Amino acid sequence: MEGGKVLDRQAAMAEALRDGRSHFKFVPENWRTVLRSMLAALLGVAIVIVIWWSIAELMIYWRGAVFPTPPETFSRLWEALSGANIMGDSIFAHAQASLARWGVGYLLALVIGLLLGVTFGTINRLHDVGMVPIFIIQMIPGLAWIPVAMLVFGLGESATVFIILVTALPPIVINTAGGIRQVPPVFNRVAKMSGQGGASLFLKVLIPSASLSIINGMRLGLANGWRVLIAAEMVVGVAVGLGYSIFQSRYNLDFEAAFVCIIVICLVGLTIEKLLFVVLENKVRDRLGLDRED
Amino acid sequence: MLASLQNVSKVFLDPRHGRGLVALNDVTLDVEEGEFLCLIGPSGCGKSTTLNLLAGFESPTLGKVHFKGGLVTKPSPKRGVVFQEFSLYPWMSVLENVSFSIQGIGDREEREAKAMEYLRLVGLADFSHARPNDLSGGMKQRVAIARTLAMDPDLLLMDEPFGSLDEQTRRKLDNEVLGLWKREGKTVVFVTHCIDEALILGTRVVLMSASPGRINKEWRIDAPWPRDLASPKMMSLKEQMIRHLQVCQCANNAPNVRFVEIDGLTEKDDGKG
Repeated sequence: MEGGKVLDRQAAMAEALRDGRSHFKFVPENWRTVLRSMLAALLGVAIVIVIWWSIAELMIYWRGAVFPTPPETFSRLWEALSGANIMGDSIFAHAQASLARWGVGYLLALVIGLLLGVTFGTINRLHDVGMVPIFIIQMIPGLAWIPVAMLVFGLGESATVFIILVTALPPIVINTAGGIRQVPPVFNRVAKMSGQGGASLFLKVLIPSASLSIINGMRLGLANGWRVLIAAEMVVGVAVGLGYSIFQSRYNLDFEAAFVCIIVICLVGLTIEKLLFVVLENKVRDRLGLDRED
Repeated sequence: MLASLQNVSKVFLDPRHGRGLVALNDVTLDVEEGEFLCLIGPSGCGKSTTLNLLAGFESPTLGKVHFKGGLVTKPSPKRGVVFQEFSLYPWMSVLENVSFSIQGIGDREEREAKAMEYLRLVGLADFSHARPNDLSGGMKQRVAIARTLAMDPDLLLMDEPFGSLDEQTRRKLDNEVLGLWKREGKTVVFVTHCIDEALILGTRVVLMSASPGRINKEWRIDAPWPRDLASPKMMSLKEQMIRHLQVCQCANNAPNVRFVEIDGLTEKDDGKG
């Protein structure tokens, strides 16, 4: 459009076809795409709730189980958010305790994982040997770490942090090393031809080129670490934490409380992922000159 | 003589599958100071391998590669390369890409001034802050040329730099390269599979044959520029080259042994099959 006003898409399209122009612009329709993705999200949540509710009613009808239904759970969630205690503490105290443990475990996993990933990614000889333990660790399910954690640390915070660390670690190492190894050879050659190696090659070429893969690893690690919370908090010993509460609900048969904690775990996990990683990834995509992903 | 390959053979081994590929077999090639040398030949004839050996990205299995009297062991800014594939860093602006290649020289301002100078030379000064992904294929390769020229190399190695561009853009860039070569007085080794491009550019054209890579024939072209491909002299040169290309392609199926792929197995083919 030269000079003239920007039209909506129907009018702009018609005008371009009439005038025989090959390119045209129209008013961006951000709200339309936002609305569409919000509707999709709502529909997805609705499907989950419908399935959950059906199963709950079926279980109540057939087995006489006290399966919490969505309305019961949400009203309990509301109470909890208004301050009512669950398993002796407020939902906020539980969430805070879990977040703190997860934060420490995940930060340790990040530091160790990035260091190992970068080392294995740049040194071929170490890669073949070093990735074997990582792949083995990756195959061990969260619950299986309980005996290991208890033998090494006993009951307590360290054991919990250890389990979070060890489940968050493998995807970070694998994706960091893989991303660096997949840097196109021509990027390496350009740097070498202009006489650069070491820090400059590493910081200005390898890391940016591998950044999307590294972020992906960090993202998978984050999800792994958060999901293992229940297993991790089985060995915490102390009576606070979202995972701990879910685990305890089988003793006092307060399944509604367990469901509330499950929902809070999901919400917190999703929020952290969206806030942290979608923003981070879009920043990096901009830097790399790639399209954004919603 | 600026650079040379002396009885160079290059063999690539694939230990896992027990396969070997002779990319170059006993190739001797001198690159003279100031010349515009075009390497032509069918794909798989070792043109790019020859270039990579001169650049120092690969080392010869047998024989020696010399540059300015010394042995070539690793890449150097004295031997600048313009790559076949797009090789700009997408996370850097055009200006940053060019100044990255002269990292070792002076301070940041000096580097940027020099980078701008070369961007101006290729007509892209206005795009210094653009991202490579916002540029067309031809513009990307122009930036790549500016980047390599900024390093002030003695030898400019160009590996089918315009192979992925459309015909018109390619002709235009060929002329620009010719202008830069005359202006800067660099020695150029230019790999192409396009006979016309070699005829337009080269002061010497070396034809390589495939399987294994060998030097087949060479021509000196002393016609002035701009060259008219329709002139009788050029037509006859082109005819000769096409004839030799065909000869060396036929030679593939004749006496020399080569590797062929049959259902993933590598078998010796003596040309009778």
